[in-house]
Amino acid sequence: MKNWIKLTLIFTLLFYSLAGVAQQQRFPKPEFGTGYHQPTPVTPEPRALVLEYSDVVILLIVLSLASWLALRKRSRKGMLWLSVFTLLYFGFYRNGCICAIGSVQNVALTIFDPGYAISITTLLFFLLPLVFTLYFGRTFCAGACPLGAIQDLLIIKPLSFPDWLRKTLGLLPYLYLSLAVLFAATGTDFIICRYDPFVGIFRMDAPFHMVILGIAFLLMGMFVARPYCRFLCPYGVLLNWMSRFSKWHLAITPAACIQCKLCSDSCPFDAIDYPTDEKQIKNRIWGVNRFLFYALLIPIWILVGGYTGSKAHTWISKANSKVYLAELLITKPEVRNDDKNLDVQAFLSSGKSMETLVNEASVIRHKFYIGCWIAGGFMGLVIGMTLLSQVIYRRKEDYQPDKGNCYSCVRCISYCPVKK
Amino acid sequence: MKNKGIVIFLISLAIVIIVVVTIDYISSKPGELPANPYALGMDLFSRTDTALIMFNEKRNLTINFSEPTGLCISNGKIFVVGDQKLQIIEPNGNLLKEINFELKPTCVFASPDNIYIGFRKSLTILNREGLKIANCNSFSDSTVITSITERSGIIFVADAGKRIVRKFDQTGKPVGEIEGKSGNDQIHGFIIPSPYFDLAFNSDGDLWIVNPGKHSLENYTPDGKLRTWWKATSVRIEGFSGCCNPAHFAFLPDGSFVTSEKGMIRIKVYKPSGEFLDVVADPSKFKDNVHAPDVAVDGLGNIYALDIDRKMIRLFVKKENR
Repeated sequence: MKNWIKLTLIFTLLFYSLAGVAQQQRFPKPEFGTGYHQPTPVTPEPRALVLEYSDVVILLIVLSLASWLALRKRSRKGMLWLSVFTLLYFGFYRNGCICAIGSVQNVALTIFDPGYAISITTLLFFLLPLVFTLYFGRTFCAGACPLGAIQDLLIIKPLSFPDWLRKTLGLLPYLYLSLAVLFAATGTDFIICRYDPFVGIFRMDAPFHMVILGIAFLLMGMFVARPYCRFLCPYGVLLNWMSRFSKWHLAITPAACIQCKLCSDSCPFDAIDYPTDEKQIKNRIWGVNRFLFYALLIPIWILVGGYTGSKAHTWISKANSKVYLAELLITKPEVRNDDKNLDVQAFLSSGKSMETLVNEASVIRHKFYIGCWIAGGFMGLVIGMTLLSQVIYRRKEDYQPDKGNCYSCVRCISYCPVKK
Repeated sequence: MKNKGIVIFLISLAIVIIVVVTIDYISSKPGELPANPYALGMDLFSRTDTALIMFNEKRNLTINFSEPTGLCISNGKIFVVGDQKLQIIEPNGNLLKEINFELKPTCVFASPDNIYIGFRKSLTILNREGLKIANCNSFSDSTVITSITERSGIIFVADAGKRIVRKFDQTGKPVGEIEGKSGNDQIHGFIIPSPYFDLAFNSDGDLWIVNPGKHSLENYTPDGKLRTWWKATSVRIEGFSGCCNPAHFAFLPDGSFVTSEKGMIRIKVYKPSGEFLDVVADPSKFKDNVHAPDVAVDGLGNIYALDIDRKMIRLFVKKENR
């Protein structure tokens, strides 16, 4: 064991020392020409259109297969192999791009920026999983999402979270979605892609800190099943909404439930609803009062959220490079003389006037002001609805999948003793 | 607490995730981008320990050249070429003679009998009075003459363009070449990435030629056989760095080497065996990233450096306490 540690340390040191040597430049440089002409850099051709369409066809096939495996075949093994294919094709072969999760930003940008037109492929990648979810539940998450697949394959000892923690962490995807749409709509950044923890692993070219991020998520995923899907995925918010209204959702048992509870133990995502506690139903009058109270609170939550968002817009808008650069040049004019500040030097050499930059930054900041109001209000609504959902009781006789949160992974079915 | 270890592990991972995302977000803003980790920084190496500097600059002579190129000292006289002329100067700065040419000279060597002027693609031999006695044009189009020396009537011309040393007799007739390869081909020939290729005889009559691409000085027999060599590759003060150094060299009376480097300009002294000895002038004495000064040594061991950018000859004398 000690030898293993030593070898690892030696290898690490050797790697970094060799990397340093490789990066060493020669100074002074040669003056004689060699007759070699440096080729002019060319922009690589985009992926052929036919291949892009073939990706859509493959997605369609995978979604159909996933839905068939979940609803008709009810095969966990089949779903597992399908997710392995998805990981290999959409993950490692297609390098995680294009992906339905990131397409949210393209849709947002195309709505808010008249100068940007979303491609039909991207639009289909955004819409197809939603449409399938509306009919069959979240079979996309089970078999067609490479991010979900890579996490699903590493679940070792999933822990069950208390309800309050799941609900609280469950707010994060809404926040992430709000910010992702806000940033995309203002042309600031595609943060879903930028902070995708697994795309660097798929491409095998991530910067060091993103490798750390990816590994941290995968390690976490050994004990918290699909942490990214459950507590961050912004597209999961939309899928959750669609799945609640899904026409044919996976059912745990094909016949009468014998209430053995095996399925709830098998679900690593805490996505199985228990039969309704009769005591809660008996306190219904008190529950109605609480329902009315929480319902009345919702507008207040929206206002508080919107106001808080609007107050944060100045800080959040600094994520935009134009806003940040304008502020930097105003508050620290001496950076103009800093030759090492490439962003400032690039702006100065662009010929654009300071006035133009400030005007552009002002327009963007105003967009952020409105966007932060909406995003904050949306978060207020989500918090209000989450609280409200705590006092809504729907009578359930059996163990059933939580249609919004169930990934249709088919684990529970393989545990169910009722087969026909 | 159940699964305490796992919970602590998960909390640690959550902290790592938050820290990574926060650092990335903050550090990638305009103006806060991290410095280019691949940028070449020579500042660390251009600073020299003053204890190693064993020479003082005693004085300097301003010369009337717009672009001086070569320097030589012979019989107590300084020979400088550049522009389209040769100037012969006394050590006190008095101009003794000026000879004009049609072309721009690149180097000069003065023997007790003759003066050898190298141009880019030709060689001119003058007597000590400045009268032309021979001319040699038998060079190729890619020739770049950078240095000349002479011993026993044979003229050795460093051709940086062709990466060879050519030999001529006193009439300008070619009598041989030195390709810089050993007999068994184990040693690479001269590697000359830039027009800096110097050669000289020491007081023992040994021919030394710089192989700048290998950061080495090589001793050849007059017929071109490699006898011995030493090299010092390092960006630190004790070595030579970059594509091609040293750019110029000369010999002290005791056989030590005085070397001059381009890029990070340094003039240093190496023992006859090739070990680093002293610093004559460190980069702070010169403008940044300018031409390598040609160097010459007088009979007393004083070092003359042709500062091409300041257009002056700078005299360095060994400190008295050494």
